[in-house]
Formats: sequence, structure tokens, C-alpha cells
Amino acid sequence: MHVHPSSPPLLHAVGLTKSFGETTALAGVDLTVHRGESVAIMGASGSGKTTLLHILAGITTPDTGVVTYTGPSGAVRVSELSDAERSRLRREQFGFVFQQGFLLPELTAAENVALPLMLGGMRRGDAEAHAARGLAALGLAGMEGRRPGQLSGGQAQRVAIARAQATGAPVTFADEPTGALDSATSGEVMGALLGSTTGAGRSLVLVTHDEGVAARCSRIVRVRDGLVLSDTAAASR
Amino acid sequence: MSAAVATPARSRDAGDVGAVLRLLPLLARTDRQSLATLVLPVVAFAVTTALLLTVVAGTIVFIAWEERDVLYPVLGAVACTLLVVPLVTLSGVAARLSARRRDDRLATLRLLGATGRSVTLIALIESTVVAAVGAIAGVALHVVLVPFVGLLPFGGAPLGAGALWLSPGTVVVVVVLTVAVAALAAASGLRRVRITPLGVRARTDAPPLRGLPALIGAAVIVAGFLALQVVDGGILVFAAVISVVLGATVAVLNLIGPWLLGVIGRIQVRLARTPAQLIAARAVLEDPKAAWRQVSGVAMTTFIAVVGGAGMSLIGTAQDIDQILVDIRVGVLVTLAISFVMVACTVGVTQASAVLDRRELWVNLHRAGMAPETMDGARRRQVLIPLVATVVFSACVGGILVLPLIGAAVLFAPLSLAVVAACFALGFASILGALAASRPVLRRVLADPESV
Repeated sequence: MHVHPSSPPLLHAVGLTKSFGETTALAGVDLTVHRGESVAIMGASGSGKTTLLHILAGITTPDTGVVTYTGPSGAVRVSELSDAERSRLRREQFGFVFQQGFLLPELTAAENVALPLMLGGMRRGDAEAHAARGLAALGLAGMEGRRPGQLSGGQAQRVAIARAQATGAPVTFADEPTGALDSATSGEVMGALLGSTTGAGRSLVLVTHDEGVAARCSRIVRVRDGLVLSDTAAASR
Repeated sequence: MSAAVATPARSRDAGDVGAVLRLLPLLARTDRQSLATLVLPVVAFAVTTALLLTVVAGTIVFIAWEERDVLYPVLGAVACTLLVVPLVTLSGVAARLSARRRDDRLATLRLLGATGRSVTLIALIESTVVAAVGAIAGVALHVVLVPFVGLLPFGGAPLGAGALWLSPGTVVVVVVLTVAVAALAAASGLRRVRITPLGVRARTDAPPLRGLPALIGAAVIVAGFLALQVVDGGILVFAAVISVVLGATVAVLNLIGPWLLGVIGRIQVRLARTPAQLIAARAVLEDPKAAWRQVSGVAMTTFIAVVGGAGMSLIGTAQDIDQILVDIRVGVLVTLAISFVMVACTVGVTQASAVLDRRELWVNLHRAGMAPETMDGARRRQVLIPLVATVVFSACVGGILVLPLIGAAVLFAPLSLAVVAACFALGFASILGALAASRPVLRRVLADPESV
């Protein structure tokens, strides 16, 4: 793992607040994510952890506060971009892994992984070749032509990881990536996720309920009632 | 320790019904998302019933015109056959949407121990109620439509609304049939829930498309055309044979259509260059039968429009023509228009339903950066690929059969042919309009992902 605390942080969030009607999801959160770092956000249901992940990733905007992302082409204030600009940023700079994988069921594994590359303008043949290499790196060689329905939960989640990494995203956001898996498969998927992100000098921000999963990250941020309760280095890796 | 207790069948049945009655009020509650899946089938059933009533009314009028010309009842029956099959398809699509809304809840009930019988009963009762509400709304819509349909010129003058009013008994029969078809479609759509509560969520591969049914279908069509060539007898015999051949062709088109779309889907997958093209082609290939169901209504009508349109265009050039030929020309255009309305309605319901069915997937792809325009492009192509394929295929079959007629019509009656072409253009526009109508459903789902 190569953390670079001296360089400008990859993500820098200051004073984030967010309410949904009467419910306060975030009540003033500051958070910094450095390059090569893996940050686990933990908390009970309704604590605001998923809202925090969504705001950091530009999926939603905060009511107040600022998120700054310093990518290859300089710093941008994510929270001030238009909807279309945030979509583009997510497509080009961020990777996403969700609990259910959310692969397109009609597409093959290789086509699912190639999709973000094709959306970025890459030719289909090149994109699928790139996707095949990504799948092979995650132990899925020979499964390029299989569709999500023909894969196990762990395999489908590794396809989702390969898709998230296809564009070489500097940061990957994962929302309960192992939530639907048994403990053995969960360990394999976390290994694949960490290997393809922090293992390649990229960053990972994940939301999890699982202490074992969080313990494999470099930092654990605990959230309660919309506030950061603690921000510590994980006890074990 | 405990011995197995055999429950008498009668008390088990009574228990099922009791459980269903207790559960129904709870399951009838809706949230915003599921409300849309209630409204859509109601609208579809309303349109289906209104069109069915109108088609039946027109057919009854033409049956009564036998003294004017023996062809009127036969042609009325032919038009009715052409329109009733796709109308039943639309009814089935709406019923499946209505039933699918309950898939998850019913599967959960199965997991909690509800019997397959209870689940089937719940699905049937709910779908029947939705269909009945839509059918009753359809009767009202039909009443509104009648004065306008009465303006159509047949027999040298407007039909007149008075001729189109149906007896209460006929209306009741049409409504009951519509609701019965809905109940049957819902029951078949929910077989999976009854068999395995987990099966609903586990996506299985679509069965491979076999060429044999398509081959049988093609053989039936060829046999039908040969029968038309050799048929000998009076005009009534000829008209009866035509009706049987058309009916058989409508039926077997459902064997050829999905196979053809499967082949086209495979080719499109290979040729796809953009994400929208790839997603659309894969979706067609995934379930060619579903793709076919959306557009099958225009297949036979296109065939008739090409054959009839060319013939009628030429007839229009004659100085002195029989009134029935003029009426056939109007009839062809009306049949074409109704079938496009049906397809537009089917597309609207199917696409809105598809957005709601896959809302989590769309929301998360949007979160990952896929632009809504890409999703719209994929959905548009998903409809246009089968639609264009169906229209081109049907038009080609019709065109080859009457090639000399079409050539002559282009030369001598371009205006009449242009009217048929304009009808096609309007039909395509209405289908694209129906597709565009499902766009706000996607936008609302994307804008309010927290409700997902």
C-alpha cells in the first residue's frame, strides 16, 4: 500500500450537512481521503454513512459544506458541479461497487466490464480485450462469456470490481460490497477489492457493517447521528 | 414425537381462503412506485376494452350490411380477427405487469409459509380487480369514442354513432372476456412464484429458440397461399378461405416472429458499437418472445396494408368503382391505425413496466455515471429493432406477393400509396411518442433514488 499523506488529499470534505425532510442524515462532517488509502465508514443503520459515501462520490449534493476532489486534471469542487458534470466525473474518475453488483443481466461478464470503457469512447473490441485482462487479474479468466445469472455471488461481485476498475479510477466507492456474501467469499472479494485498488496505488472508500471487513482497511471512520464519532487506523490489516 | 396430522382437504381450502381474505387488505396498500404499476395496467385495460368494443361494434354493423354486399360481413370478420389477437396480447401484457408488481411480495409470502394456492388466489383476485376497473373505464372511453368513430365514411356516408351502440349484453360479454383473459395471463405469469418462492429473484436463462416452430409457421403460410391459389367456388367460399388463411397466418406469425427477432438480435449483438446498441441488442436476444409481443400487432396489419394498400390504390384510379372497394380502402387505413394505437399502448406499458422492474439497476448504473440519455437510447433501440424488423419483414412478404401491383400503384396512384405510407409514419410516430412517455418514469426513478 502506498499512502501519500504529504500530497494534496484525493478527497477533502468540510462541514457536510444533509437533511431529508425532518431527518438529519449528516450534521457537519469533515473527512479526508489520501491516495492509496482504504477508508471504511462504519455505523448503525440510519447513522448517515451511506449519505456520506453518496456525497463524497457526487451522487448527491450536501445542503452545506464542500467536497473537493483532486484528480489527475486538478482540483474540482464536486459538490458545486452540475448533475451532468458529476455524472461525467463519476463515469471517468470514480469506480463503484454495490452490494448486489448491479450487473446488466443480459450482458456477458466481459461486456459488463467493457461498458464504462465504451461509454468513455473506447472501441468495443479494445474495451472487451481490456475487460478480459481485468477479469483475469481477478481470477475470472475463462468466464468472459458468462452472464451474471451463470455466476456465483462472489464471482459476480468480482466482475463488479473489475468494472469499477476498468477505467483505472483513482478512487473506488463501495457500498456494503460483501453484504450479500458468506464470510469465506467475503474475504475473497475484499482481497480482490483491496488488491485492485490500494494494491495498485488507488484509494478505496467503503461502507460496511462488518468489523472484519473494516479491519482490512487502513482507516476506520465511525459515524453516529450524522457525526464522525472516531477516525482511527485499523487495528489489523 | 408429534405425529403427522392429515389436514382434510376441505378445511385446508377454507384456511387458504381465510388467509387470503385476511391478507388482501394488507397487500392492497401501495406506495408511490407501486402505484404506477397499478395505474399503467388500468390504462392499458381501458384502452384494450374501448378498442375491443369499437371493433366489435364495427363488425356487427358490417354483418348487418349483408344485403348491400355479401363481402361486408366477411371483411368485417377479417378485420376483427386481425385486431382481436393483438388486443388480447395487449391485455396479457397489462395483466403480467399487474401481476409482476406482486412478485416480490408473493414470493416473500411463500417464504413465510403461504401455500401456493393462497398465492395464486391473491394474484388472481388482484389482477382481476385491476382488469375489471380498467375494463369499466374502457366502457366509458368507448362511449366517448363512438361519436368520433361514427364520422368514418362507410357506404357512401358517415357510419353514424347510432349504428355503433352495442347492446348491454354484448358490452358485458366483452368486459367479462377481457377480465377472464387478464386472470389467465396473471395465473400463467405467476406460475414461477407458486413453484419456487426463490425462483422469482434468481434469473434463469431464456430457453434457446428453436427453428422448428418457425419452420412449421412458414409451412402453414405457404400452404395457406397455395390454398388461395387453388380455391374454387363462389365468393363466399373464397372469402371464408381468406378468413381462415389470415387467422392461421396471424397465429403462426407468433411462431416465426420470435425466431426471426432472435436471429436479428444475434446479428445486432455482433455489430453493436456503442453501449446503447449493445444493451438493446442483448435485451432483444435475451427474450425475443417479449420483444415480439410488443410489436406483433403491426405484423399482420403491415402485410394487409401493403397488399390491400397497393390494390386499393389502383382501384382508386378507376373511373367508376364499387362502393365496397372504397370502403375496403377506408377499412385498411382504420385497421392500420387501430393496430398502431395498440402497439403504441403495448410499448408504453411494457417500457414503463421495464423501468420500474429494473429501477435498482438503472439507479445504480446512473450512480456509476451512466447518463440517462444512454439509457433512453438503449430503451429506444430495444423497441425499434423489433419494430423495424417486423414491419420490414411483413412488408417484404406482402410486397413480394403483389410486386406488380405495387409497381403499378407507384406509377398510377402515387397519392393513394402516399396515404398508406403517411399512415405508417404516423404509426411509428405514435410508438415513439409512447416510448417518450415512459421517459419521465425513468427520470423520476433516477431523481428519487432514495425511494428505491
